[in-house]
Amino acid sequence: MREPVVIGTSLPRSDAPGKITGKEKYAADLYPEGLLWVGIKTSDYAHALIKHIDTGPALQIPGVRAVLTCRDVKGSNRVGVPEGDQPVLVDDKVRYRGDALALILAESREILQEAADLIKVEYEELPALFDAEQAMLPDAPVLHEKRAGKNILLSGVIERGEGRAALAACYALVEAEFELPAQEHAYLETETGVAWMDEEGVLEVVASTQTPFRDRMELAHALGIAPEKIKVAAPYLGGGFGGKDGITVQAYLGLAALHSQGRPVKMWNTREASFISSTKRHPARLQYRLGCRADGILHALSCRIVLDTGAYAHLGGPILEMAMEHAAGVYRVDHVYIEAYAVHTNNPVSGAFRGFGATQALAGIEQAMDRLAVKIGMDPLEFRMKNAVDRGDEIGSGVLMRNSTGIKACLQKVREHPLWAARREWEKAAPPFKRRAAGVAAGLQGTGYGPMIADIANAKLELLPDGRFRIYCGVADMGQGNNATNVQVAGEALKQAADAFEIWQPDTANSLPSGSAAASRTTFSYANALLGACRMIEERILIRSCNMGLGYHQEDLMLLPGRVRHLPSGKDIPLAVIAAAMTEAERLAVYAYKAPVVDKAPALVNSAIQVAGFPHLIFSFACHLARIEIDELTGEISVCDYLACTDGGKVLNPQVYEQQIQGGVVQGMGYALWEDFRLHKGEVLSKNLATYIIPTSLDTPDLISLPVETLEASGPFGMKGIGEISINLPLPAIANAAYRGLGRSLGTAPLTAERVLLALREESEEGCLC
Amino acid sequence: MLVRFKLNGREIEIDARPDRRVVDLLREDLGLTGSKEGCGAGECGACSILVDGVSKLSCLMLAAQLEGRTITTVEGLSAGEELHPIQQAFVNRGAVQCGFCSPGMVIAAMDLLQRNPNPERGEIRRALSGNLCRCTGYQKIVDAVEAAAGEMRAEA
Amino acid sequence: MRQVMLPASLEELWALRKEHPDALVMAGGTDLLVRMRATKKDLRPVLVLERIEELRHIELNGSEIIVGAMTSHQQLMDSSIITRHIPALGQAAAMVGSPAIRHMGTMGGNICTASPAGDTLPPLYALQAQVALAGPEGGRMAAIEEFIRGPGQVDLKPGEILKQVIIPLPGKTSVSSYFKVGQRQALAISICSMAVFMQINQGRYIEEARIAWGSVGPTVMRFPEADARLQGSQLSASVLREYGEAASRLVAPLSDIRASAGYRRMLVANLPLRLLA
Repeated sequence: MREPVVIGTSLPRSDAPGKITGKEKYAADLYPEGLLWVGIKTSDYAHALIKHIDTGPALQIPGVRAVLTCRDVKGSNRVGVPEGDQPVLVDDKVRYRGDALALILAESREILQEAADLIKVEYEELPALFDAEQAMLPDAPVLHEKRAGKNILLSGVIERGEGRAALAACYALVEAEFELPAQEHAYLETETGVAWMDEEGVLEVVASTQTPFRDRMELAHALGIAPEKIKVAAPYLGGGFGGKDGITVQAYLGLAALHSQGRPVKMWNTREASFISSTKRHPARLQYRLGCRADGILHALSCRIVLDTGAYAHLGGPILEMAMEHAAGVYRVDHVYIEAYAVHTNNPVSGAFRGFGATQALAGIEQAMDRLAVKIGMDPLEFRMKNAVDRGDEIGSGVLMRNSTGIKACLQKVREHPLWAARREWEKAAPPFKRRAAGVAAGLQGTGYGPMIADIANAKLELLPDGRFRIYCGVADMGQGNNATNVQVAGEALKQAADAFEIWQPDTANSLPSGSAAASRTTFSYANALLGACRMIEERILIRSCNMGLGYHQEDLMLLPGRVRHLPSGKDIPLAVIAAAMTEAERLAVYAYKAPVVDKAPALVNSAIQVAGFPHLIFSFACHLARIEIDELTGEISVCDYLACTDGGKVLNPQVYEQQIQGGVVQGMGYALWEDFRLHKGEVLSKNLATYIIPTSLDTPDLISLPVETLEASGPFGMKGIGEISINLPLPAIANAAYRGLGRSLGTAPLTAERVLLALREESEEGCLC
Repeated sequence: MLVRFKLNGREIEIDARPDRRVVDLLREDLGLTGSKEGCGAGECGACSILVDGVSKLSCLMLAAQLEGRTITTVEGLSAGEELHPIQQAFVNRGAVQCGFCSPGMVIAAMDLLQRNPNPERGEIRRALSGNLCRCTGYQKIVDAVEAAAGEMRAEA
Repeated sequence: MRQVMLPASLEELWALRKEHPDALVMAGGTDLLVRMRATKKDLRPVLVLERIEELRHIELNGSEIIVGAMTSHQQLMDSSIITRHIPALGQAAAMVGSPAIRHMGTMGGNICTASPAGDTLPPLYALQAQVALAGPEGGRMAAIEEFIRGPGQVDLKPGEILKQVIIPLPGKTSVSSYFKVGQRQALAISICSMAVFMQINQGRYIEEARIAWGSVGPTVMRFPEADARLQGSQLSASVLREYGEAASRLVAPLSDIRASAGYRRMLVANLPLRLLA
């Protein structure tokens, strides 16, 4: 008999064998017979009116089958949630260089760029904005006529206690400013998909997308097709991280399929096209003033956060909200003033990226904390411990920690670890021409969508005629393993072996709407729904077993792998036999789950910020430690040791848990040390993987991940989402270490070798210790 | 142009443009989509294949170069349900997340273990340093190659 | 559609080239194919050298080390001749790109691409390498510093290929090494690189020093006068700092997306201290 699945064990992921043999088909791997390739012509200017588009010359190229413009779009020609402000094909003006002017259908991928280059566009250049502060000035050009403030997508203030006035009463005060660049998702599979019109006149789209259900609605709206006439499927994504949260290529594919004379179409962004078109993490400017009392208790925080939201709204509003909510980190602060702005510029669109605004905010507060600790001569970990919240406290942004709150346990785990305890000896043992330093950072990540946007998952579970089960996953799997985790959750709930389950990848025709693969909620929400469906199916199976003329009572029956056992007699009925007795409707269980939210939000923010997500209810927590070596000859920072202690509630699968932590930390290290996204007047300069530097296997160390298992009662088996928390802390932990090692702060990320060497040179010129 | 070469153990002959990229020939003409494209410029390793046992980047190879060669792609490593020890180790050690880099990683590991059956972790990291991964942070991939090396030495 | 030809011998190569005088010559393809992807398409045929076995060898011939142009970076790394006598070249080859790129890329290709950042170039300059050029009519020799004219420019006459690289066998008490700074530890174009060749005597005094710099000028740079001032000294921080300061004033770096000129100069001033590690 097969072993039943057990929650809490490192069950190998069920998607791994298909992927490791090359058999699993990603959207990029689909080549429908007779396909036409799709490409776009992107803008030559960051801000310009479109006077005329001449597609004629492109049509002359042999193999080009069609060139479409906005005139060919029958619907609203707008995508973007919630604002719906981004054109599929530009009809008025371009607002960034990735704006699409024309759509090309061609026989081969190679001629798409050639065709794009031949399309003649008449532009009337407009003054452009590349700096968020300048975009807010009174005389700045207006990028979107419909925004309330000058180029401001969203802004808000959180004021508590005496606000800024309390700064004057602080025993010690630090002021710091930070500039954070854009970050590229740089998933290995770029944006891609295929589409075709089927025999019933339904548009079918298969895309590398985090949001198949929402895509369907957006396509309906943008292209003017009834939603019932659209199907969207999401195979495993080759990475997402937020960059595929929403429409990327899907509208281009839909439009192309409507004009391809019945042929299927495919689009697959080259890496360069992905750099030009795709969304980025919001660049940010953070100005912090943080003060404390003589005993080290935080007294006042005043900060100003400006996010460059780029050309279109995308999810800039919710991201701004998260930045505000996380601006005071994990600390109690009675007097707070947080003002924040998400501002349009003609830079690339800023959108969802793992961490979602919390990353930027935590970079600010955590570095300010370290400077304040130095100022009052307090150990940085003790300083944090003194001010960190317990359950029942409010964090500085006014959000009550109602649910599981494990930050102090995370801090404690770091404090008692030899890497921290022995850091001074380690630092003293630095080799010649190297400096060693240790730095910590603590943080949190609000999970889910906040109080106003319903976080709903609908699980659909089927008992198959052969006695196995099919889980109709509703949330896309971009590599985080939520679909494999569904197997583990259902296996535990139904007492079945892992191979009793089949995973159906989300598609709008067969799965049920279950929200986006985002916000660290993919397992939390869907697995909660799945548990409900499992309970329904189990009950149905057991009751049915009673109906089969064997005189059984339900309380005497138990599900086991592949069978139902009548405990008093020890007799087993194979599940296939029970399934055969059931109708199709009986074998299907559907269960809707809505995630809990804060029902009475503190009256701290305007309604727009509330809609954007203030406040969240459930938070994951973490404390990270980075031990670095700074090369005094080259400025290179190398991370020697790294410890991540994370509170994600109960660990469902230690291996999958580690996967997320290790991956997020390394992606965060990239943000900290190498990923210098280069833009000049709205043009992406670092537009390939040779010039946008992400870490290789030689750049990062083995890291230690220790879970802190609180129990999140609302989570499936007590878990919380940890998809994002780990990316938030490498930058501040490493920057804090560098601050100690250099005796000065860089104020800019990433901490490239060049910036560090410059700081070292300044230090030696100013006669500081070296 | 007719190109004749050995692919995953079988002799094949295919008519292809001589300047067709090998990654496209494998994926589109032969349906072997296990080798991926992540950059098209030799910067990510997702397109790695073995050419006469040596790892090379198929996005930087032309069809004509296949003539007479012995090519192994990720599809050639497993037999039915049975995985190559390297692949099995990746599965067991949690080295596969989104999986898009994984075939290339396996090819890089194959190349390493042929040259050095008993590598240290630093040598493993060096051997994988031409394969970018955005999901795993590399650690479990190194764990998997280390475990596979042990398995393969034990079997040898 | 482009024609792609793979001659199996030099004779075949000369014949094909006569037929297709405009053909592009490809060694490992790791530079050429990347450039072709980025630029406008043309349909010139490609002549691939990979099947010409006589271009692939490493020999020690009396007082010379001879490396065939199609020798891969991996082969340079694996060669006991290189490791024993001119380790800087093997160290440099080990830092090119990535393992797969090292299997594909070649000595000759690295030279003829003549990137200011080419990893194998500084060691070749420090080791006083010569290149042997061959054509249908015959061959000639050139010093590497004469052969490489500027970024992407080499002195190849029409119909010629680079056939071999010839490196004089250094004395037994010589040491050589290569240091590279890139934006990360692999898959990195050099921002500043230093190849050092030294003859050290029994008292640990420098008898002869030749230091060559990459990525800090249009081609590899050497400063014989600064090298000469190292003669007669022992390796010490002050001696190396003095050399570094001098060299940093003499290099001609540019600012580009990878690094500023100022940073490159600072690296030149500092890198010589690596020799103390």
